[in-house]
Amino acid sequence: MDTIENVELRETKSIINMQKLLAPLALIIIYAFFSIFGRNFLSFTTLVNILDSSYYIGFIAIGVTFVIITGGIDLSCGTVMMAAAIIGGTAYKTWLWPMWLSLLLILFVGTAFGFLNGILISRLKLPPFIATLGTQMISLGIGSIVSNVRSATFPARGAPDSWFKSIFKFITVDNSSIPTGAIVLFITAFLAYILLNKTKMGRYIFAIGSNKDAARLSGVDVQKWEMMAYVVGGFTAGIGGIAFAAVYTTVMPAQGAGFELYAIAGAVIGGTSLSGGAGSIFGTMIGVYIMSVLRSGLPSMDLQAQYQTFFTGIVVIGAVLLDIYRNKKASEVKMLTPADQFKQERLQAIEQHKQKLVQETDPHKKAAIRGEIQKIKSDMQATYKSMRKEEKEQRARLALEEKEFQMTIQDK
Amino acid sequence: MNNIVLSMKAIDKRFSGVHALKQVDFDLREGEIHALVGENGAGKSTLMKALTGIFPKDSGEIHYMGKLFNPHSPKQALNAGIAIVHQELNMMDHLSVAQNLFIGRESTKLNGLLLDEKEQNRKAKQLLAKLNMNIDVELKLGRLTVGKQQMVEIAKAVSYNLKVLILDEPTAALTDAEIEDLFTIMRDLASKGVAMIYISHRLDEIGVISDRITVLRDGELVGTRNTSELTKEEMINMMVGRVIYEQPKSKSNVASDAPEVLRVTNLNAGEQVKDVSFCLHKGEILGFAGLMGAGRTETMRALYGEDEATGTIEVNGKKVLINTPMDAVKLGIGYLSEDRKRYGLATKLSVIENSVMASYMELSPSFLLNEKALASETRKYVQKLSIKTPSMDQYVRNLSGGNQQKVVIAKWLIKNSSILIFDEPTRGIDVGAKSEIYALMNELVKEGKSIIMISSELGEVLRMSDRVVVMNEGRITGILDIEDATQEKIMALATRYK
Repeated sequence: MDTIENVELRETKSIINMQKLLAPLALIIIYAFFSIFGRNFLSFTTLVNILDSSYYIGFIAIGVTFVIITGGIDLSCGTVMMAAAIIGGTAYKTWLWPMWLSLLLILFVGTAFGFLNGILISRLKLPPFIATLGTQMISLGIGSIVSNVRSATFPARGAPDSWFKSIFKFITVDNSSIPTGAIVLFITAFLAYILLNKTKMGRYIFAIGSNKDAARLSGVDVQKWEMMAYVVGGFTAGIGGIAFAAVYTTVMPAQGAGFELYAIAGAVIGGTSLSGGAGSIFGTMIGVYIMSVLRSGLPSMDLQAQYQTFFTGIVVIGAVLLDIYRNKKASEVKMLTPADQFKQERLQAIEQHKQKLVQETDPHKKAAIRGEIQKIKSDMQATYKSMRKEEKEQRARLALEEKEFQMTIQDK
Repeated sequence: MNNIVLSMKAIDKRFSGVHALKQVDFDLREGEIHALVGENGAGKSTLMKALTGIFPKDSGEIHYMGKLFNPHSPKQALNAGIAIVHQELNMMDHLSVAQNLFIGRESTKLNGLLLDEKEQNRKAKQLLAKLNMNIDVELKLGRLTVGKQQMVEIAKAVSYNLKVLILDEPTAALTDAEIEDLFTIMRDLASKGVAMIYISHRLDEIGVISDRITVLRDGELVGTRNTSELTKEEMINMMVGRVIYEQPKSKSNVASDAPEVLRVTNLNAGEQVKDVSFCLHKGEILGFAGLMGAGRTETMRALYGEDEATGTIEVNGKKVLINTPMDAVKLGIGYLSEDRKRYGLATKLSVIENSVMASYMELSPSFLLNEKALASETRKYVQKLSIKTPSMDQYVRNLSGGNQQKVVIAKWLIKNSSILIFDEPTRGIDVGAKSEIYALMNELVKEGKSIIMISSELGEVLRMSDRVVVMNEGRITGILDIEDATQEKIMALATRYK
């Protein structure tokens, strides 16, 4: 009988683990699926492709995770990233700034937009959706204005000043590429993890997302820390801008709208709750790679790019549905009917017997207790069933009564 | 006029652990205004909720217009002619008066294809004219005063071929002139045969408007009397005349030379806090009594910097500025809200994270969190307050009400706050946890902390307080030493108007 106890314990445990492991598991399954069924999917080149195409979304997804955990949203991260990149490119090409200063400018522009978002939302109390919708358009506009609607071309590989490209993609002498950008992304993700999980700032961000009122009444500087989440978002958009410039060389004006949706999707697939207070950097990275694998995997099955968006959409909806279901399960307040109460009482009785069973050493008595438990169990199941049935009938009767009463009242 | 429209017999209702209604009888005659009075939690709203089908009664019978009546939803009650007008209005500010009146049953033309606003406005005008209400039906509801909005809600209820109208604290937000208008309309409705149940804390008004009075206390019927035969003093005695099982505190435990830790002078905030002045001594439990809406919670929110306020606050003899809760926390004030899920706890986070929420700076001053220090400090208070939780990483939402409350208390103890504001500290907590919290409060004041306790339970106030502040309508109507305080005196102060 104690095996049953163990099974139950294991079950509750496995449910918790399942929730955490669901996204990584999905990633592995999808990867394995394409490896088996896709043409030429399982290769180093494809892997590099998957990693390459994740950098810029990956960086802004990290930032947006901070924002979403506060209960907010950042619609501007994609266009801010591209605005920062094109401004940096213009600084290098047109204003003839040195490369290192141009790259710093990219980080600065991203962070500045983060500040702007933070001030609008935490101080001026704009709803995050509206505020970042506004800055999305502003950053889109500023990028075009500063670049004079010309694309900014960063130096091609091998040209002078192209050293920064090697940070994100290292080409060896025999012309094979090493995705060093992935390492940069992982380091950034690790630092973000430390910031979010191991510092006061991270704790405050979770507290604000879980219950802003309670955090404020506890003396937490809600304005400051909410703003810092957006600043982190802006900074990662800056890093994303550099990554984009390094991988794609040419930055077009008015680009970037829509990237934020992939970033948000990545966070959400990874288990970050849009209502705030829950989420993880690790989950977000998994979410980003799930989308990347889909993007590289579907063409290997002769499905064109449009299928990638289609399936990503399905994954997002599935992930959010799962999140809602999980939340509902966790916060469900169940009204106990007499039948439920009866069942609970019986379960308690069984629990008591089981405890006795553990203490009991005499095998003879042990068997007796086991028999007792079996009896209570079968009795419980039968009675519970009939009580449920009765309650159902009772409800039906009441409904009928109500109808009849309505009719008599109307007669009057 | 003496036909009985509604009679409720032996109504009984239990909520998990609480016997909310004990065999209550109540009847209502055609065209009568029947006042229902009692303290907070006496069972008034529970009885009305059972009548309007918001939840089912456990036993007892309701006869309505000579027939057994068993409502399962407010809608069913409304269709049967029983309507309730709440203190908080449930209407749409952005729609016109007429649209509000006929929402869900709009006038239409072309077989329901298009709205017929003209016809609807005409019907609305007719309805309001019948009730002698002078209101422009095309005005947006939000442009009307609260009193007028309430009349619209009453008119809406009346339009459902009404037999019984329940008014729950209708005058709480009204001016004197508006109250007069409301009474005129009520008398008019009564003359048309509508029976009204009038729930109010304002005993003077009840004496003016009602025909009969029913008093409930702790879920039990104390009695039903004709208004003309009942004085206000008798009414108060009926409301509070319970046997208190707990011994009230016989004398203050505060040393006569105990220093003042907090002095509030002329605190004003919005409509709910007017010229509030009081002081708190070291080691004192200062009880705040009053009826619902007396402005006690609002006073504390203003004091805590959560709501904008004017007035002077001194902490330990020094004048201080409290503009935000952050300031208050820094001055050593901790606030335990009456609504702990909304204002006290981040329920998605763990016991540790909630307990140390106010104290990260002290416990972990460096950039990286000192998780060991956080955990050990939390463990200390989990043990001290005997918080029952399987682990300190448990989500707070999985704890019982009493243990959640203790987590909030732990938060302020870890912060080492010296002035604690406990707003309804035992609300929604079972009896065992209650006495634990009482014991804890007594221990805290012995350790030199000072407590402000808001409570709507007179028994609790008398048992715990060293002094009792009584509020009504945003003002302090009296401050009693515990030696002089009785239930009757407190209730008289709590119902004293202007």
